[in-house]
Amino acid sequence: MASKGPTASASTKSSSTGGTSGSSSSNGSGDNTNQDNTFECNICLDTAKDAVISLCGHLFCWPCLHQWLETRPNRQVCPVCKAGISRDKVIPLYGRGSTGQQDPREKTPPRPQGQRPEPENRGGFQGFGFGDGGFQMSFGIGAFPFGIFATAFNINDGRPPPAVPGTPQYVDEQFLSRLFLFVALVIMFWLLIA
Amino acid sequence: MASQNADPAAVSSAAALKAAETGATAARGAVGKRLQQELMALMMSGDKGISAFPESDNLFKWIGTIDGAAGTAYEELRYKLSLEFPSGYPYTAPTVRFLTPCYHPNVDTQGNICLDILKEKWSALYDVRTILLSIQSLLAEPNIESPLNTHAAELWKNQVAYKKYVRETYNKQTKSQET
Repeated sequence: MASKGPTASASTKSSSTGGTSGSSSSNGSGDNTNQDNTFECNICLDTAKDAVISLCGHLFCWPCLHQWLETRPNRQVCPVCKAGISRDKVIPLYGRGSTGQQDPREKTPPRPQGQRPEPENRGGFQGFGFGDGGFQMSFGIGAFPFGIFATAFNINDGRPPPAVPGTPQYVDEQFLSRLFLFVALVIMFWLLIA
Repeated sequence: MASQNADPAAVSSAAALKAAETGATAARGAVGKRLQQELMALMMSGDKGISAFPESDNLFKWIGTIDGAAGTAYEELRYKLSLEFPSGYPYTAPTVRFLTPCYHPNVDTQGNICLDILKEKWSALYDVRTILLSIQSLLAEPNIESPLNTHAAELWKNQVAYKKYVRETYNKQTKSQET
């Protein structure tokens, strides 16, 4: 951490002499501190982690650049030179000491994963309420015999094996299934006599 | 990075969860770190005519000063500004206002500044130093086309009268602030 001081001072010295350009790639003096700040991210001003480089040659941490691109999805430009830039137009950098060769773009920390729950994963707690929609739909369509089979199927199959007895959901579920079975029978009967 | 051998889906979802939990605090920490870097860079740079320092313990609110460049209407005048950094900094621009009233075509009476790099042209690369330098050069080169202060924009054409007026208002305001 103590090395940060001289690093920062060297960076400002080089940039103040070199005008306002943000790229501190002047290799004039080959001393170590100057060498270090060549590899600083242009956004967090720290040594680039999960480094990527744009086609215009500017270095960033991928998380930093990713957040920058997310901030303005309609106008994705390089923060340094305002050249066009996008996720597909940056190159990941792998140094010798880097752990693994995983593309930093594959792990984008700031962005939560898209939510796409699988149908069978709707079980668990919600498993008890499982039937409602299904039953209504099968009857609504009017394919009642299949509906009944589907109902039976759902009850036996879709629910997680031990349907914790005694809970209000369990009671509701039992009541609903009986109710719907009764309704189905009534409709079938009505169809027969109609 | 031992986790790189693990199932990528599990890793990413765990990372997402962690990011959601610690997102706010982590972001604030990252912003603070960057502001510290900027403060250090600014103090080491020794730029003439600009300075800035956090107002108190709060690293997210700075007070800056700009000296009018020599050879301009603002020569020898010193202006105080406030810089407020949002939690989204540096992805979003800080709010910069003149504390010392500034008679200028692109500064309104409340001290708000009309400067493109503080609005739509903002880039994550800009820092306190470049902002203050930009405002310093804005003082000398106003954008007459889109003025906030139309009176100043009109008077700009007459440089002698403009300089006189700037000085008069500056002296009047600083005097009234002192008393």
